[in-house]
Amino acid sequence: MKWIELSVEADREAVEAISELFAKYGYNAGVAIEESIIPDEDEEDKYELDLDRPVMVSTWLPNDERAEEVRELIAQHLWHLGQMRYISPLQVTISDEEDWANAWKEHYHVLRVGRHIVIRPSWREYTAEPGDVSIELDPGMAFGTGLHPTTRLCLAALEDYVTAGMSVLDLGTGSGILAIAAAKLGAATVLAIDNDPVAVKSANENAALNGVVASQIRIAEGTLAAAGNVQFDLVVANIIAKVIIELAHDLAAALLPDGTLIVSGIIEDKADSVALALAAAGLHNRERRHEGDWVALVAQR
Amino acid sequence: MAKKVRAVLTLQLNAGKATPAPPVGTRLGGYGIALVNFVKEYNERSSAMVGQIIPVQITIFEDRSYTFILKTPPAADMLRKAAGVTKGSGTPNMKDGGTITAAQLREIAQTKLKDLNAYDMETAMRIVAGTARSMGITIQGRF
Repeated sequence: MKWIELSVEADREAVEAISELFAKYGYNAGVAIEESIIPDEDEEDKYELDLDRPVMVSTWLPNDERAEEVRELIAQHLWHLGQMRYISPLQVTISDEEDWANAWKEHYHVLRVGRHIVIRPSWREYTAEPGDVSIELDPGMAFGTGLHPTTRLCLAALEDYVTAGMSVLDLGTGSGILAIAAAKLGAATVLAIDNDPVAVKSANENAALNGVVASQIRIAEGTLAAAGNVQFDLVVANIIAKVIIELAHDLAAALLPDGTLIVSGIIEDKADSVALALAAAGLHNRERRHEGDWVALVAQR
Repeated sequence: MAKKVRAVLTLQLNAGKATPAPPVGTRLGGYGIALVNFVKEYNERSSAMVGQIIPVQITIFEDRSYTFILKTPPAADMLRKAAGVTKGSGTPNMKDGGTITAAQLREIAQTKLKDLNAYDMETAMRIVAGTARSMGITIQGRF
């Protein structure tokens, strides 16, 4: 897919007005504002904004049949705004989604998590060591690369709690990384659910990449309701605090007696609220794991 | 350990509902940032403010790590709320996009002051007034 980038350089006092205009027409109301900085000579991680330089404001349009008309409209509005403040002529560049969507892959390497788990990006070479549980992954645009602390916290917890023959539910599977890990750690059956079709596609591809068979992992598009009334030995949900709190009762209901719940996607300040919601749903909080600002909670029915 | 700052940029995104599509992808992708990770972090931190545009200021370091802070909603959003209109006028200076009082203008400028880098109250009011004018919103009274 191709995108049209529209950018102007402008007097900083015009930035709010241009942003408002761009938000009105740009994809997802998205606007980017980039200011020049003067790095601090003494302290590397400090900087000051360069107030003498103009600010760059950008927005994006899908490159479709309406694009030219919208670009024209934006240019007209900018002309009006330009009567009040300095605004450079509108710069138009076309970019291919491939160019930016995959740029980060260059920096994505083989990654060790927990005691034995190894995440291998599908485009990297790697020689396994004895005992390695290796997961091959091409996350595409789905969440779950192993680069994020919440994914690592969940992987390490799965390594500690999954035992052979278990039934596992992975809610909000993203790239499928946690579901695949559970399968490789010995779970007999894994149900992976995500409400985002992009994630479902990615999880299916990754399951195939890892040779995890359909009889072991099932990937479904939908919400927790897609699990039906089935209960599991272990449920893992790496989503966000708000959603976990809302779903606390349903998550508890999806657990077999003595079943284990692993939840993450939680920032430190919200960990207490989540733990309270889990307790209110009748679960026993067992463990709290941290990495940076992020927390994973383990609870038991 | 101190790391060199590579860029500082602000993205205006829908609180709790950002995706790796533009502007996130087009702006951050080139810096080698894993887009989905940023999206998850932004959505988590802004989840209480769903329904608003919450700008995020991202500092990107040379090693591709980053930090970010959430900012106050754009002045335009606050102006629309104050004027009681859903959308500003399409044409600056021309059609009627609603009215606010000078006191409301002062209040918005006050809220925005901490995000309008290094400006004093007077300049903040001028900037917000400029945004109001460009949206066709009239300001009643002197300021």
